Amino acid sequence: MGEMEQLRKEAESLKDQITAARKAVQDTTLQEAAAGITVVGRVQLKTRKTLRGHLAKIYAMHWAVDANLCVSASQDGKLIVWDTITTNKVNAIPLKSSWVMTCAYAPSGNLVACGGLDNMCSIYNLKGKDGNVKVMRELAAHTGYLSCCRFLSDSEIITSSGDCTCVLWDIETGTQKTVFAGHQGDCMSLAVSPDFKFFISGACDFTAKLWDIREGVCRQTFGGHESDINAIGFFPNGNAVITGSDDATCKLYDLRADQELITYQDSSIMCGVTSLAPSLSGRLILAGYDDFNVNIWDSLKSERVGVLAGHDNRVSCIGVSADGMACCTGSWDSFLKIWN
Amino acid sequence: MSSKMQSSSSIAQARRTVRQLRIEASIERIKISKASSDLMRYCGEHAKNDPLLMGVPASENPFKDKKPCTVL
Repeated sequence: MGEMEQLRKEAESLKDQITAARKAVQDTTLQEAAAGITVVGRVQLKTRKTLRGHLAKIYAMHWAVDANLCVSASQDGKLIVWDTITTNKVNAIPLKSSWVMTCAYAPSGNLVACGGLDNMCSIYNLKGKDGNVKVMRELAAHTGYLSCCRFLSDSEIITSSGDCTCVLWDIETGTQKTVFAGHQGDCMSLAVSPDFKFFISGACDFTAKLWDIREGVCRQTFGGHESDINAIGFFPNGNAVITGSDDATCKLYDLRADQELITYQDSSIMCGVTSLAPSLSGRLILAGYDDFNVNIWDSLKSERVGVLAGHDNRVSCIGVSADGMACCTGSWDSFLKIWN
Repeated sequence: MSSKMQSSSSIAQARRTVRQLRIEASIERIKISKASSDLMRYCGEHAKNDPLLMGVPASENPFKDKKPCTVL
């Protein structure tokens, strides 16, 4: 038997092993286990603020850890840092490339980052000495668009790209520390675990992967979606992952059981999920869709318990503030809305 | 690309695939009953501190516009 044939057989055998091992722990389902819990009552959130100022589609937003500030990115070529209570623009940062697809706020509050069709991740220092916000670093090495970025600290950031890889960067030197390769399609989204040891990526190969940041390896791969995964997030305790896909569903995968526990879907929902965020306790999942709405799901009962309708175009991004007090949605209609 | 080069890069890819699958096959898995009860417990323990779930009283809502009031 040639080596190629041997390897092919071993791969098939390992896949069967994984399937069997996952099946062996299926002593119940989350649906059955949660049968005794009552569905959450109807969740009705109101728009408390509308953040106006962008002149084109908003593609991304990210809350600061200091709960009242957030950053948004629009294809009008601007990053805006907002005070969400006063609705004032704290910073309006003009970008070299207007084709921005993602933005991130560093946990320290000192830096923001963005990137897109320029294939680069640009880091901006908000706290520069003369008060001007300037580009601090341009992280260039990806051979495809930058779909998402998340800071680990002021010195490290992780990016995901249309070149099918994710990268851990040293911001100081501007170099790649680790390349996370393995996805067979564009990486669309990433999220960092609460303990900063792992991150998860969702891609156009319909899978989500869990990566060990320091070891540089993929530990687990989750399938089941029938189309591109556009959005991904950690359940607040770090033990589960939530994905949103063009197949119109969201799924919850448990990391320790190594499999999908539940799917959030409704026959009346036929458009893709663009973004998602769990509430502070994880009991609610807020997901943005192509049909201009946000659906709110009871994460344990898989029932829709609320809708946020208020945008006049696709909801492209969503985030829950660090203290869980508010949800922010960003849309192609150029507005951000704060809800609670 | 000569067919010899092509097959050696496919073999390299196949080796990587097998190496990755070995990593993924080797992990310990917990029962779904335990995974579910841990998720349910976490939600239960943190529910009362989840403002979007419990609702935010108007007096404590920093995002709620304070309406002007007249003193009669």
